[in-house]
Amino acid sequence: MSTLSALLRQRARRDRWQLIIWIAGTGLLALVSASAVAQTYGDYAGRVSILRLAIANPAILMLRGTPRGAGLDAFVFFEIFTFLALLAGLMSTFLAVRHSRAEEESGRAEMVSATPAARLTPTVATLIHGVLANVLLGIVVALAFIVGNLEPYGSFVTGAAVAATGVAFLAVGLLAAQFMRTSRGANGTAAAVVGIAYVLRGLGDALGTAGADGIQMSPAWPSWLSPIGWGQQSAAYTANNAAPMLLNIVLAAVCLLAVFGLQAHRDSGASLLAGTTGRINARSVLSGPLALGWRLQLPSIIGWCLGGAFTGLFAGTLSKLVEQAASANPTVSAVLHDMVQGGGSMDQILISVMFSLIGILAAACAAQTIIRMRQEETAGTAELILASPVSRTRWFRDYLLLGLSAIVLVLLSGAVVSGLSALAVGSDPAGIGDSFTAAAAQLPAALVYLGVLALLFVVLPRLTISLAWSSIGIGVFLGFFGGLIGVPQWARDISPFTHTPVPSSGADYSGAVWMLVVAVAVTACAVVAMRRREFQTT
Amino acid sequence: MSGVNEAGTTSGDLIIDVRGLGKRFGRVRALDGLDLSVSAGEVHGFLGPNGAGKSTTLRVLLGLARASFGSVTVFGQDPWKDAAKLHRRLAYVPGDVSLWPNLSGGEAIDLISRLRGGTADRAAYARAKDRLTRTFALDPGKKGRTYSKGNRQKVALVAAFATPAELYILDEPSSGLDPLMEAVFGQEIQRVSAAGATVLLSSHILSEVEHLCSRVSIIRAGKTVETGTLAQMRHLTRTGISFAAEGLGQEQLGRIPGAHELTVSGGRVSFTTDTDEVSAVLPMLAALKVQGLTVQPPSLEELFLRHYGDEAEGPKGRRAAEAAAR
Repeated sequence: MSTLSALLRQRARRDRWQLIIWIAGTGLLALVSASAVAQTYGDYAGRVSILRLAIANPAILMLRGTPRGAGLDAFVFFEIFTFLALLAGLMSTFLAVRHSRAEEESGRAEMVSATPAARLTPTVATLIHGVLANVLLGIVVALAFIVGNLEPYGSFVTGAAVAATGVAFLAVGLLAAQFMRTSRGANGTAAAVVGIAYVLRGLGDALGTAGADGIQMSPAWPSWLSPIGWGQQSAAYTANNAAPMLLNIVLAAVCLLAVFGLQAHRDSGASLLAGTTGRINARSVLSGPLALGWRLQLPSIIGWCLGGAFTGLFAGTLSKLVEQAASANPTVSAVLHDMVQGGGSMDQILISVMFSLIGILAAACAAQTIIRMRQEETAGTAELILASPVSRTRWFRDYLLLGLSAIVLVLLSGAVVSGLSALAVGSDPAGIGDSFTAAAAQLPAALVYLGVLALLFVVLPRLTISLAWSSIGIGVFLGFFGGLIGVPQWARDISPFTHTPVPSSGADYSGAVWMLVVAVAVTACAVVAMRRREFQTT
Repeated sequence: MSGVNEAGTTSGDLIIDVRGLGKRFGRVRALDGLDLSVSAGEVHGFLGPNGAGKSTTLRVLLGLARASFGSVTVFGQDPWKDAAKLHRRLAYVPGDVSLWPNLSGGEAIDLISRLRGGTADRAAYARAKDRLTRTFALDPGKKGRTYSKGNRQKVALVAAFATPAELYILDEPSSGLDPLMEAVFGQEIQRVSAAGATVLLSSHILSEVEHLCSRVSIIRAGKTVETGTLAQMRHLTRTGISFAAEGLGQEQLGRIPGAHELTVSGGRVSFTTDTDEVSAVLPMLAALKVQGLTVQPPSLEELFLRHYGDEAEGPKGRRAAEAAAR
């Protein structure tokens, strides 16, 4: 018993900051969404009209869930529960793998297993630790909703549903750790299961059947295959049904039986699936710094492209619906006008708002390319390349080329999906061009980021990573929300996103031209300065 | 600068020629007037304790860092300006090898070899790679993140030796290898050397350099303190011998042949002797029935203490000593 409590204390101490951030962050999201809904959709009639729009749009249902009436509490649950469950799931799988497979991989588990803790006690400790973390998370979420003026009983049902979903994924994480050889593999597998659970219930919710009143919906069967879907079916604040949560607990119990069965019989450090090995010989394309850059960055570029495609799906399907909402509600149209500078029809403004999000993704993808270059330098792997007949400037230029390609790919994936989905919902085929123009309008701002961050890499390498992310955050803040909170124009002008044009007849493209000039000039300076730059590992 | 170049220059072209090299990092002088000359076909040991500036020098030779002052040429060219061109002719193994976590060792070897342009003859390259992965007992199918330090080093060594080069620059290449692999490494050095290549091998282990190198440069605190052939540096490579002083008088100790720097302190006798005279000394010690005998090759640290101890105290210490002498 004392070994167990020692292991528990060790886990609590090791995770204290990490778990506080996860739990407080999730609680804050709950609190903010409760008060935001109360402020933005304060009146019942407004919520009804929003729900009618949502039920007509599968993309929203996929992202949020199925609505159950226009009561304020039920509306908050509809809007935010799947995100809370997603966060609980990821927190739990990472926690499970961190204290199981990662420990075995590093060899620390061997040290612990050599004590009277033996083989099973560490897993029991991880299980208790994870369950406690989820219970705490559930309580914090419930309290956040109560503070946000939602009905207390339903709030505790919500908290319990979040915790039950988290516990199910905790067990999934522990099971993945039994199967995979590396912590990376186990984390990837478990997080993929969480993602699949999210998408499954998304499909089921999107394919659901709407109630007669048009503000309620019951999901199709795929939602019943997902632990997140089970959590949703608790229907807090309306039905307050705890029974579906039992499915989460049953899943957890089944996984845990398998975990303890496997753990009791396998060698320390062994796994059910052998670790993946790589190729003995490289493919023939892997022959230069550009090919290497692609190889290293491809997963993250695909990720940003998926983000672009998903946003494009919204741009293509939503514009019609929101246009109706905006014409009915002048404050909505004022907010949208403030986010994109300039005029144009409502339709074009809407597409521009959505594509400005894709523009941010493209800029972030470019930033990550520059960050990779810096990471290659600090890790020392770039030394192997630069000690070969590859000059500093060629290595640098190849990364810039990679960044440019990444930007174009993210924008294109948004434009293509937006165009196709607009066709699918029966928009005017002539409007497809709007998606591509809107995507092209985002190019200059992303190129400014690529150029400026590249120059930063040359001149102030140590600050590359921190300034890359913060400059994007500041740019987004000033460019998109500066107007809403009354930041002076000169400060808003700092952000490249402020100067992104809104394509329409008679639009002002001078901002785009200037940004292209700046991007080219800054990039040229960076390339020239790179000639004189030393290799800097620190 | 001293007499390094008179002693150092031998016949043949200078592949590496460094004179009065300095390198500043902010206010710190990592290199402060370093000289190094390596002739064609030579296996040159580059010795110094940790932090003496060996890796910095190698980085300057590769054009990864720029000299703050002094002159540096490799193959007669400036490595900072002509880095890419020079790198066609050389192979490099860094001191602390990092690999790409998601590339296998085999992929990293292929990538580096292709970058160096030595894979035109595919069959020959495949044979060389295969032979080297087997002699170094390297599993090329594992991902970079799963290799130990020694295995990462093997990946870099296989990549360096798989394609021919005129110059090999190796930064403490055997520091992560076990003795068996050190022997394999030594054979590879002899193979490329026999084929006419020049090797610059940095190390902080004197015996390793003694074994492989024809000439040696020793640096300390960014300066060259000694350079020459091993024969010229015989006095540096004496073996240290010590044993219990109990029951042994000055008269008996005086009979030991070839004993240098003999001292008696802390109840132990210690002296040094030329390595080839050890066999003559041992029977004498056996006759004296000495107790607690230790025989050890000179470590670099000892060597520095013994030969450059005054400088190790720094200019302050020296000034104090001068003041005392006055």
